[in-house]
Amino acid sequence: METLLEVRDVHTFIGQYHILQGVSLKVRKGGITALLGRNGAGKTTTLKTILGLTPPRQGEVIFADQPIHEMRSFDIAALGIGFVPEQRAIFRDLSVEENLKIAERKRGDLRRKQEMIFSLFPDLQRLIHLPGTHLSGGQQQMLAIARALVADNRLLLIDEPSEGLAPVIIEQLILAIRQLSAETTILLVEQNFIVAGQLAEDYVIIEEGQSVKTGKMAALVKDEQIIHRYLGAA
Amino acid sequence: MNQASISPSKFSSRFKSFFRGNLGGWIVILAMVLLPFITSLISGQSISNLLANESGMAKFVQGLAIEIFILALYALSYDLILGVTGLLSFGHAMFFAVGAYLTGILLKSFGWSLWATLGMVLVAAIIQAILFAVVLPRVQGVTFALVTLGIASVFYIVIQSHEMSAYAGADVGLQGVVAPEFINAADHRMRFYFVTLGLLIGMYLLYKRFVNSPTGRVCIAIRENEKRALMLGYNTFYFKLIALTLASITAALAGCLHALFQPIVSPHTASMGFTIAALLMTLIGGVGTLSGALVGAAIYRLLEYGLKNIFGEQATFLLGVVYVLIVLFLPYGIIGTWKLRALQIRSGWQRLIGLVTGKPKQA
Repeated sequence: METLLEVRDVHTFIGQYHILQGVSLKVRKGGITALLGRNGAGKTTTLKTILGLTPPRQGEVIFADQPIHEMRSFDIAALGIGFVPEQRAIFRDLSVEENLKIAERKRGDLRRKQEMIFSLFPDLQRLIHLPGTHLSGGQQQMLAIARALVADNRLLLIDEPSEGLAPVIIEQLILAIRQLSAETTILLVEQNFIVAGQLAEDYVIIEEGQSVKTGKMAALVKDEQIIHRYLGAA
Repeated sequence: MNQASISPSKFSSRFKSFFRGNLGGWIVILAMVLLPFITSLISGQSISNLLANESGMAKFVQGLAIEIFILALYALSYDLILGVTGLLSFGHAMFFAVGAYLTGILLKSFGWSLWATLGMVLVAAIIQAILFAVVLPRVQGVTFALVTLGIASVFYIVIQSHEMSAYAGADVGLQGVVAPEFINAADHRMRFYFVTLGLLIGMYLLYKRFVNSPTGRVCIAIRENEKRALMLGYNTFYFKLIALTLASITAALAGCLHALFQPIVSPHTASMGFTIAALLMTLIGGVGTLSGALVGAAIYRLLEYGLKNIFGEQATFLLGVVYVLIVLFLPYGIIGTWKLRALQIRSGWQRLIGLVTGKPKQA
């Protein structure tokens, strides 16, 4: 089992607040790892720490055998880490095509990838010239994920993709993310345990800024006690 | 499906649609080219009189238009950093004043040629853009505005200082700059008019091209959300530096034209008030629209001129009232609101035509 990303005992402060108080996790190459936990547990901060947006004060982040916790975020992104932020953070003043084009890291990235992207998200092809403001919530989420696919990313960090979306759209999303995981490694933050349970093979639970449990999703799904204890859902 | 490639047969239709899509712009350019001739006809001046640079209505109107073009260049540069890239600078007047003072001082006190002066203005513009950009990684938003205000204030004090008075003329301003004969606005008003107009059109097209280029798209992305742009792997600092440099060069060029055209370069051009003027012109026209900066500059100068003519000193108060009204009722500026409403207006027209002809049309 090859590890693509490893976070070792990371401590992160936002202002004077000690948000992450020792998070450790490993993301296996290939497949999906879910980052679980209640609201405010520190899931999004963990992603931001990996990305260098809120650099850790202590601890290490290793990506493909290379320490990245002291690097600047645009350099980290250039190593091949794509981020799909929560709330469908697309560029609203740019068209769908421009939103995709801006994610190119090499010339022609989009042309090479567009067939794959449009087969995953057929809607986007139809809406290609529409400005981001005109998209529905589901379409914005598709675009946000598609944007992370344009460049050759080895790892995708996806933050709360199903938040605020209709069940039908979530179904499509699950299919798309599963297809993606065949080609790239995914670290998924998801509140919706049903979604996470369907997608991920491994899980990490974070509670109050600390990683408290890791293991195989297949085992977790059966363990109602742990689900109730840490996630408050059954 | 590859949407990016254009087949040759589509080219002519593309060209036509480009022409039609910019019809308003072409009309304005044509009107500006014809302006000196039309005004001379209206005022009963013969064309030969006009070409001989005789004083009169036509020469005066050209002078007013030149002032508007220079202000438009200046407002355009402010729109690039505020409207496109989202950097709020309160030191923009310095970009203009450095161009104006440097041109005046090099021509007058050092006897440089115009081309050497222009080269020096270019260098100075790049240096001051870097000076502004140095603080960028550390400060953002309002803090950036205050730091730029600080830098510009230092410049404002320096050019008015006693030590600089031999060159910059202290608080009176820099007087007696003689522009080279071939571009002297007193003797060749129309030539200066067309040079300024040409520069403005050229710069505007360059800015349009820039905003639509990949680099310009990243600047828009930075305005919307810098962190997202960072996450895509862009070192946003360089993009902000590029925008600042382009804006600085444009504003310095406007300042250079100002020094060549006006009999005096007043310290006002380096003051906070002149930065506010840039902000006003962009707000009136519509932030981030580029063409709005041109419209804003025209309205700003014409209103100022018209109201001062009618009301004298009270005009300043009335100007303020007009600006407040514009910002209240057209929060996206004239061009911005127009673009937002264009669809509604078009469908309204179609409904009206439908009513008249009795054939209701779908919008």
